[in-house]
Amino acid sequence: MSRPLDDILFSAPSLQAQKVIRAVSVMATVVLLLLAAGTLYRFHAAGQLEARFWEFFTWRTTWIFLAEGLLGTLASAAMAAVIALTLGVVLLMGRLARSRLVRWPSIALIEFLRGTPTLLLIYVCFLVLPSVGIKLSTYWMLTLPIGLATAAVVAEVYRAGVLAVPRGQADAARSLGLTEAKVFFLIVFPQALRYIIPALVAQLVIVVKDTTFGYVVTYGELMQNAKVLIANYHSLVPVYLVVAILYCLVNYAISKASKRLRGPMH
Amino acid sequence: MGEVSRLLAEYGPAFGQALLLTWKLTVLSFVPGFLLGVVVTVLRLLPLPPLRFVLTIYVEIFRNIPAVALLIFIVFALPDLNVLIDYEPSVILTLVLVCSAFTADYLRSGINTIPGSQAEAALSLGMRPMHIISVVVLPQALRSVVQPMTSLLIAVMLSTSLASQVPFPGRELTALVSKIATDSAAGIPAFAVAAGMYVATGLLIAWAGAALEKKARILR
Repeated sequence: MSRPLDDILFSAPSLQAQKVIRAVSVMATVVLLLLAAGTLYRFHAAGQLEARFWEFFTWRTTWIFLAEGLLGTLASAAMAAVIALTLGVVLLMGRLARSRLVRWPSIALIEFLRGTPTLLLIYVCFLVLPSVGIKLSTYWMLTLPIGLATAAVVAEVYRAGVLAVPRGQADAARSLGLTEAKVFFLIVFPQALRYIIPALVAQLVIVVKDTTFGYVVTYGELMQNAKVLIANYHSLVPVYLVVAILYCLVNYAISKASKRLRGPMH
Repeated sequence: MGEVSRLLAEYGPAFGQALLLTWKLTVLSFVPGFLLGVVVTVLRLLPLPPLRFVLTIYVEIFRNIPAVALLIFIVFALPDLNVLIDYEPSVILTLVLVCSAFTADYLRSGINTIPGSQAEAALSLGMRPMHIISVVVLPQALRSVVQPMTSLLIAVMLSTSLASQVPFPGRELTALVSKIATDSAAGIPAFAVAAGMYVATGLLIAWAGAALEKKARILR
């Protein structure tokens, strides 16, 4: 593996360039520290550093409540992922079908589900479905639209994986007398999965982000619980800050995992 | 179909305006977001460890934070810090930050596909590093990220639906549907029309992106 390009670009700076780099580095550090100090001062000037805005973070109940929210987030995200992974296979089968009668409606459904904002789908489950007599729980009002929208994306990811499997694999399996279903589910699909596992895990980040809309339908996920905390303690900035950090940590962990999964492939 | 035509008779112009606002928010978020992403990418190439460190944190934060959470923070929490930003600029700022982080991430992967020998060759020709970045590295990186940038543009377009979460003076498509669904029983046709508009815009972007990709692709 060759060195990264930026290392090569600046690999052998002259003595003078070294001095410039050092000076600019120090300057950049000073500017960044000043920025940080300015932000902190802003917090102080606005009175946001007062203990009453932060002290409830030392209470166990606050963290239990936030953990419940995070659990709600993960419960919804996990179910949406299960829906997406299974329904994605169904959509993929339709998408790859030989008959146009099956293929075209599948393409239309995929394009529709992934081309519409998840928030709009949530509004349909939240505002429109009840008016025609379909009542879902808040959990499903959030989870179902996310699952459906993700299923369409996952179907396309599956398809990319299936197309990446060399044709000879399917041909060889057919020549051994396997049925079409067996060729697909025993030979092609498992290999396709290996190609796309990183992409699928990365999709999970988007699912977790989408569950943030839980507060729209008042489902008790992290964002909704944050709103409740704010209503109780009138502490907007600290609570939203902590919640944002929690979201970042969860998603960062998932992204890192997906990049690690990419490792052994090549 | 009858319901849709009745809906369009009543809300037709509103849908037109909503679509235009969706497009406007998309462009106003994507273009600065993209440019900011390019700047962040170049700054991260410089041999300045503190800057690299902070910009890596910047990219990871805005790539991983849910856009709604960021928007809510900007709209509802920043005023407590005496930073007041109007609703429309708040939505655009949210999308610009998120878009710039993803652009920087994609461009970085694009740069990683460029063989290091090209930088060595350019250096041996006596070119300065900044010159190499602007005429050798960036053009190739930009050409290799057309496809992810197309997906990002579509994602930004769909994310403008976030504007429905703040009391916006104008209504983009999602806000309009939620208003129609609350006011009348025309929820399903309104949803169908808006969904059609989103899907059509997305397909248009995808088609333009594919055309551009065909022209820009570098065969190695």
